Amino acid sequence: MSLRNLRDLHPVTGHHANNGTDFRVGVGQAPAHHGELLQGVFDDGTGRPRRALVTLPQRDRGTRAVFHPSRRFYSITVENPELTKVRRAAVLALHRFAAHPATVPGGRIEITSDVPSRIGMGSSTSDVTAAIRAVADFHGVSLPEEEIGRLAVAAEGASDSTMIDDRVVLFAQRDGLVLETLGHRLPPMLVVGCDTEPGAGVDTLRFKPAEYDDKEIGAFQVLRAAMRRAVATGDVALLGRVATASARINQRFLPKPGLERLVELCLRHGGCGVQVAHSGTIAGLIFDARRPGVADGVARCASRIEEMGLVLTATIGLEPAAADVRVTA
Amino acid sequence: MPLRTGFVEATEAYQIPKLVRVAPNLYGIAFTLMKMIPARFILRRAEQDGKIGPDTVIVETTSGTFGLALAMQAVSMGRRLILVSDPVIDERLYRRLTDLGAVVERVPASAAAAVGGYQAARLERLAQIRGEHRSTFCPEQYSNPDNPRSYAAVAELLVECLGQIDCIVGPVGSGGSMCGTTTYLRALFPECRAVGVDAYNSVLFGQPDGPRELRGMGMSLMPANLDHRIFDEVHWCTAPAAYAATRDLHRRNALFMGPSSGAAYLAARWWARTNPDKLTVVMLPDEGYRYLDTVYDDEWLAQRGHLGEQPPDEPLQVDDPSRQDGSWTTYDWARRSYIQMMTTNVAAAMNV
Repeated sequence: MSLRNLRDLHPVTGHHANNGTDFRVGVGQAPAHHGELLQGVFDDGTGRPRRALVTLPQRDRGTRAVFHPSRRFYSITVENPELTKVRRAAVLALHRFAAHPATVPGGRIEITSDVPSRIGMGSSTSDVTAAIRAVADFHGVSLPEEEIGRLAVAAEGASDSTMIDDRVVLFAQRDGLVLETLGHRLPPMLVVGCDTEPGAGVDTLRFKPAEYDDKEIGAFQVLRAAMRRAVATGDVALLGRVATASARINQRFLPKPGLERLVELCLRHGGCGVQVAHSGTIAGLIFDARRPGVADGVARCASRIEEMGLVLTATIGLEPAAADVRVTA
Repeated sequence: MPLRTGFVEATEAYQIPKLVRVAPNLYGIAFTLMKMIPARFILRRAEQDGKIGPDTVIVETTSGTFGLALAMQAVSMGRRLILVSDPVIDERLYRRLTDLGAVVERVPASAAAAVGGYQAARLERLAQIRGEHRSTFCPEQYSNPDNPRSYAAVAELLVECLGQIDCIVGPVGSGGSMCGTTTYLRALFPECRAVGVDAYNSVLFGQPDGPRELRGMGMSLMPANLDHRIFDEVHWCTAPAAYAATRDLHRRNALFMGPSSGAAYLAARWWARTNPDKLTVVMLPDEGYRYLDTVYDDEWLAQRGHLGEQPPDEPLQVDDPSRQDGSWTTYDWARRSYIQMMTTNVAAAMNV
């Protein structure tokens, strides 16, 4: 079930529905993503290098969290005990509202998600962000995005930037900091997503962070400038170049089998390049949604990918304009 | 638009180039002092890494603009600098260096060697100086990987300002600027062409060593920082051809640059003209002030028979990089290593 459907089914926030009782709940939502357009190490403006990334959001999947408050129990429980990060996020969020007049000592978090885990689609951050938003919603507050980012990082160690959904940012995923706002929005593009190693999965907690060499760090400096220009000028071709370059650098750390074949396939069908989940197994072939004949190229790539034995994850149209040319094949 | 602020130190300002369109599909990246980029990067990094302490003396062998950039950065950092130079160092540069507090040691004219000129004598004197001080740091622009590494900042600027770049043209000396800039551009644009411009009688791309009138490019020894595999093509030109192009660049575009910039412009404008659908960038490493009494003086040019001498419209294509035919030649280097190039040419010669 997609996030949009969830929203349609539950159009009310608990806040307005059940005023003033223990049964009043808080509701939060958060989208998934499809890996990154760029990930590496970047100067934070003070000369200090920080790990940071530019997330490729995927808004047709996501997590919905419901916070059921309790006035009796001084703890947070989560229905699925495997979601320890969600529990930690809710504890931190509740602590944030300790001084709020209507706060509660504890409660229960209920998570509904259609984001697959372990392939790099940000299921964890999606859950964590939704949980933080649910707790905030219970208090009748909409937290600033960057504060959600800091809480999410505190809860899970490293987060993507899906909580920041009104602009394109270079986000320090281990510090919860926006290093740079690259622009308002991504240019209209279509992304054919696939899982390059179906069934393999990556344990993001155990995955060792990449140790980039000097040359790679120099290259990230250039990729950042290219990303800045691509977003500012709406240049999908340049964006695809950045994504491909970032994916290639990452091959040294978490290689995607057949990356070069995917790049070749994409370019041959009029596409702009390939992005990957730098700590996952998915990849996406990027197309400029404004280009005539884009639907054909997308459809051909999608069927070629299936012939290659890879699993399609999504066709993402990132802009309303792009959604009109979505492929039904 | 982000708020503009002032610079904390002059050297930070000096490393920023001007990117200027000189033809519909050709941009010049014009530096006041290009060597400021590696000099500042290398010294600041050495300081961060603890290789330059409060009492460390910076030492280097140079007679050129790298020494000037080091001297300026040494002022910013409050460090002592000793430069070992040829006996023939430009008098104005010498005054500027010493005014910046640098100690400039000139090796005696008698120290010239048949191959490599004064380089051996300079290195010997440098070793002596290092022995005399407790703590020294030598930037070693010809072999320090931080030299090419520093040019990521140039590639960054080019990409932000221009987007896709199809060809980069520039003079070659240490190899730092062309190899560094090209490498970082190719992270995004692997097909981006690199065109190196060298002087005749420079050993960099296979010419026999010999006296060179054209300054600011070409070498008598092979620098470790020169990665030949970067280059798609190489051009050589004579001093008068470079001078004429330098003056052209000034007259047509009001860009007041030195002769190595002129040589690069000569090759770049031809490349851009023959590839009208490609975007080309030409590196223009320093300004014309040092050449006011020479390249920019018609009388000086006339005395040498250079006045009115115009380079041909296009280079002569050669199949042997050691040849000197006319005033401007080009060779299809094809991203080979130096050894590969030599092997190819020996094989070709034996077949004949």
